[in-house]
Amino acid sequence: MKKTKLGEFEELVLLTVAALQQDAYGVEIKRELESRLKERLSVGSIQSALKRMEDKGFLTSQFGEATAKRGGKRKRIYATTSHGRKVLEDMKDIRTQLWSAIPKLAFELKAI
Amino acid sequence: MKPQALHPPKWPLKFLRFFLKEEYLEEIEGDIEEIFHENAERFSVRKAKRIYTWEIIKLLRPNLIRNFEFVNQLIQFSMFKNYFKISVRGLLKSPVNSFINIFGLAAAIGFSIFFYAFVVYTFKRDQFHENKNVVFLSTFTASREGALRQYGQSPRPLGELLKQDFPQVINVCRVEDRNVIVKHGDNIFNERIRFVDPTFLDMFTFPLKWGVSTSLSDVNSIVISEPMAEKYFGDENPIGQSILVKFSAENGKEFKITGVAKKFPSSRSFDFHFLINFENLRTAQPGFDSHDWSAFHQATFVQVAQPSDIKIVEAGMEKYRRTQNEVVEKDWAIASFQFEPLATLHIKTDEIREDVFREGTHSNITSIKFLTGVCTLMLLLACFNYINIAISTSVKRLKELGVRKTIGATRRLVIVQFLSENIVVTFFAMLVGILLGWLVVIPWFEGLWDFSMEFSLNDPRLWMYLPIIMLITALASGIYPAIYISRFQTVTILKGSVRFGQKNPVTKIFLGFQLVLACMFITSAIVFTMNGDYLAKRSWGYSNRDVIYTAVENESVYQQLNDVMQRNPKILSISGSVQHIGKNHQTTILHFPDKDFEADRLSVGPTYFNTMGIELVSGRAFKDFDGSDKNAVVVNETMAKNLSWVNPIGQQFRIDSITYEVVGVAKDFHSYSFFSLLRPTFFTVADKKDFRFLALKVNREQEQSAFEDLKKAWATLYPEIPFNGGYQEDVWGNYYEQMGIHGHVWRVFASVAVILAMLGLYGLVAINISGRVKEFSIRKILGADYKNISNNIFKQYYVLIIVSLFVSVPLSFIFIKSVLDFAYDYHMPVTIWVVTMAASLLVAVVIATVATQIIKVFKTNPVEGLKTE
Repeated sequence: MKKTKLGEFEELVLLTVAALQQDAYGVEIKRELESRLKERLSVGSIQSALKRMEDKGFLTSQFGEATAKRGGKRKRIYATTSHGRKVLEDMKDIRTQLWSAIPKLAFELKAI
Repeated sequence: MKPQALHPPKWPLKFLRFFLKEEYLEEIEGDIEEIFHENAERFSVRKAKRIYTWEIIKLLRPNLIRNFEFVNQLIQFSMFKNYFKISVRGLLKSPVNSFINIFGLAAAIGFSIFFYAFVVYTFKRDQFHENKNVVFLSTFTASREGALRQYGQSPRPLGELLKQDFPQVINVCRVEDRNVIVKHGDNIFNERIRFVDPTFLDMFTFPLKWGVSTSLSDVNSIVISEPMAEKYFGDENPIGQSILVKFSAENGKEFKITGVAKKFPSSRSFDFHFLINFENLRTAQPGFDSHDWSAFHQATFVQVAQPSDIKIVEAGMEKYRRTQNEVVEKDWAIASFQFEPLATLHIKTDEIREDVFREGTHSNITSIKFLTGVCTLMLLLACFNYINIAISTSVKRLKELGVRKTIGATRRLVIVQFLSENIVVTFFAMLVGILLGWLVVIPWFEGLWDFSMEFSLNDPRLWMYLPIIMLITALASGIYPAIYISRFQTVTILKGSVRFGQKNPVTKIFLGFQLVLACMFITSAIVFTMNGDYLAKRSWGYSNRDVIYTAVENESVYQQLNDVMQRNPKILSISGSVQHIGKNHQTTILHFPDKDFEADRLSVGPTYFNTMGIELVSGRAFKDFDGSDKNAVVVNETMAKNLSWVNPIGQQFRIDSITYEVVGVAKDFHSYSFFSLLRPTFFTVADKKDFRFLALKVNREQEQSAFEDLKKAWATLYPEIPFNGGYQEDVWGNYYEQMGIHGHVWRVFASVAVILAMLGLYGLVAINISGRVKEFSIRKILGADYKNISNNIFKQYYVLIIVSLFVSVPLSFIFIKSVLDFAYDYHMPVTIWVVTMAASLLVAVVIATVATQIIKVFKTNPVEGLKTE
C-alpha cells in the first residue's frame, strides 16, 4: 500500500508525463509544469520525483534522440505504466466522489 | 555571440559528475545544458551560468546521489556513540587505572600548555613595536683575539651622518644612558636616565598615558615611565610638574614633565625610566664631543622607509669605516657595519656585546630548547603509562572484542574503536591539563621568576595547538595497543585459548624506559640542589663577607667620607678605587710586541688588596705612598695562564703608549657570578682624584653596625644625595636566589617524573596481582608467608630493575654532566656517587610501590580471593 502512495507533487508530474506523451522528457515536463503552476521549479525536484515514481512502478523510461543543444546527450522519454494510469484514475475518482459528497450548503455557509 | 562558443561553467559540471548516480548522468546533464542554453538566450550568459550552478547544487538529493563509502560510514556514527559509551563505562569501572591515565596525561598536557605560553611569551617580545621591521640597530664587528665579535655600539658621529647622507633613512635615534640623581620634594633617588633624540617615541611604540610625545624636542622636557610617575608623584597626574636632575654634584637641571608612558608590555627587552632630549648631554657632560670618531654612543637606531632599503645603507657604510679606522688606534678599528632589525634583536642579544637590549633579560632560546626536551619526556612518560595499562587490561576486554569481531567488526574498525576511546581519555585529560597548566604550572613558574607571561585562554592559536597536542598524544599512546589488541583471531579469543597481556615484552621495555627517565630527572634534582649548596660555599677568591662599599661622587666626597670612617674603630682598613670588583671594570686592550690582548682593568688604591682580602700568589702588592708604582700592574692567575707566562713577574706590555711592568700575581677571584667564566684581569694604581668607590674592611661581627655607621656618616655629610652602597656579598644581586630556583624547578620536574613512573608501575603491579588473586589465595592457604609471596611478585621485576639501573646510571651521569657544563662555568664535581644516590632513591620508591600491593594481597582473606570470579 505504501509503495503505491502518490504525493501531491508526484501526481502533478505524473499527469504532465501522461499529457505530454512522446514529448515527456525532463526539460519539457519542467517547462509545462512551470507554465501551468506559474512558479519556477528546479531540475532536482522534478528529477527526484521522476526517479522515485519510476522506482514505485508508475513510470517507465527509455532513451530518445540527442540534440546539439543538449551537448550531444540523449533525452530520456518517460511514459506512464498502466499501473500508473490506474492510480491516477483512482485518485481522480476519489476526488470526484469527495467533491460530490460536499453539501452545497457548506460552501454557502463558508461564503458568508 | 556564436552558440558553439557558449559552454556551461566547468567546475559545477565536474562536481555534478562526481556526485550524481552514473545511470542518471547523461539525461540530467543534457537537461540542464538545454536549460542553460535557453536561459542564455533569454537572460545574460552570466545569469544562465549562475542558474546552472544553482540547479546543480539543488540536484544534491538523497535519491540522486551515488553510493559513497562515507555515506555508509555516516551510519556508523551511531557506532561511535557506542564506542563513547563503552569508553566512559570503562573509565568508571576501573577508577584507579583511569586516574593514572588521566592524571598522567593531564600533568604532561599541563606542562605542554606552560611550554606553549613560554614560547609565545618569548617570541612576542618586542613585537609590539609598529616599526619593528623598519627600525634597525646599528652594530659593528671588530676583531678580537683572532675572531670577529659584534658590538651594539656605534661611533658618535654616525647617527647624524647617516641622516644627512642617505635619503632612505627617515629617522635616526641615538641613545646614551647616565647615572644621575633625581629629586622631587623629599624624594631623592639614584636613577639611570636615557638621553635620546626626539624621534625616539616615533620609532618605538611606547604610547603615552598622559602628555604629548612630540614634547621631547624641547630640551627642558622629560618623559617618564608609569612606575617612575608612581614613585615620585603617587597616583596624581604629574604633567607640568618639575623635577630636578643632578648629573653630578654641582651640575643639575630642572625638567618639566611632559609625558608619562603607559604601562609597558611585559614581553619587552627595551624600555626606559626617564627620557630627555639628547642635547642635554652637553649640559650633563661639558665638553662632550659628538664628532669624535674614536668614541662610541651606546646605541644608534635608524628607521628606513622599506625594510629592503637597509641594504642600500649597508652597502654605503664603507666610507665611514675608513674614516673611523683612520682616527682610532687599531684597538677599536671597525671591521664592518651591520644593521640588526628590531623585530629579531631579542633573539640575537646573546651574541651582541654592549647591547642596550641586553639590560633586560637574555634571550630564552636555550630555555625553550631545554623545556622542549622536558615536555616531550613528560608526554612520553604519560603515554608509556597509558600503553602499558591498555595492554595489560586488554585481557579483560577480549570477550567484547571477540563478540564485536563475530558480528562483523573488521580489524580496522577495532583499531578505530580503541583509538576513539583513547581520544575520549585524552580529551578528559586535556580538560584537567588545561586547568593544571593555567592555574598551577604557569602561576608557579611566573611566581618563581617574578614575571608575567600574560597568558590567557583567549588565544586562537592556543586552541589550534591544544587539539594538535591532544591528537598526537592520543595517537602516540593509542596506536600500539590498538594494533596489538586487534591482531587476535576471533576463534582463539572465544575459545579462551589466548593468554596475553601480562607478559608482553613491550610493556617491560616501556617500564624500563620510564625508570631510566625517572632516574635522570632525580639525578638532576639532586645535583642542582647540591650544586646550589656547593656554590654558596664556594670561595669567591677574596673575602666578600667582611667588606662594605659605597660609590662616591668625586675626590672631595671620598676624602670627607674617608676621614670620618678612618676614626671609626670598627673599620680595619679603607681603600679607594676607580672600578670595584663586582660592580664594574674597564675593558682594555694590551699591546705586546707580537699580539694584542683584551683584559679587564681595575684601577685601585694601593691598599685595595688588603681591604678586599685578595691574596697574592707571587710578587708584591703596590707600595703605599703618593705617586708609587705608576707603571706597575698586578695580574690575576687566569691572565698569566692565558698569556702562557712561565714567570709573570717582570713581563711588560703597553696600554696606549705607556709601558707597564708586572710586579705581582693575584689569586683568581670571581668578579661576577659563577655563571660566567673568570676573565683575565689586572690592577693598576689609580690617582686619588679619580676614586669612585670606597671599600671598607670590617670585623665580621660588626659588619652590620659598621654599615649603619657608614650610612649615618653619609646622611650627615650629604643629606641631598641618596646613599649608593651595600654589602660586598650582595653585589651579585639575586644570584643565590636564581640558584635556589634552579634547584626548585628540577625538584618539581623530578617529582612529576617520578610520580608518573610510579603510577605506571603501580598500575601494572595492581593489574598483575588482580589477575593472580586465586593463585595467591591458594598459596596463602597452603602456608605461604610474606617472604614467599614478595619473592613471587618481585621475581618479575628483578631483571627489569637491574637492567634499567645499568642503563640509567651511566646515562644520567653523562646527561647531568653535560647539563651542568652547559649551564655553569663553575660547578661542583659530578661524581658517580651522586647518580648512585639517585638510583638508590629510585629503587626505594619502586620497592615501596610494589610493597603496597604485597601488603594488600596479604591482608585480604584468601577465602574472599577464591570466591572472586
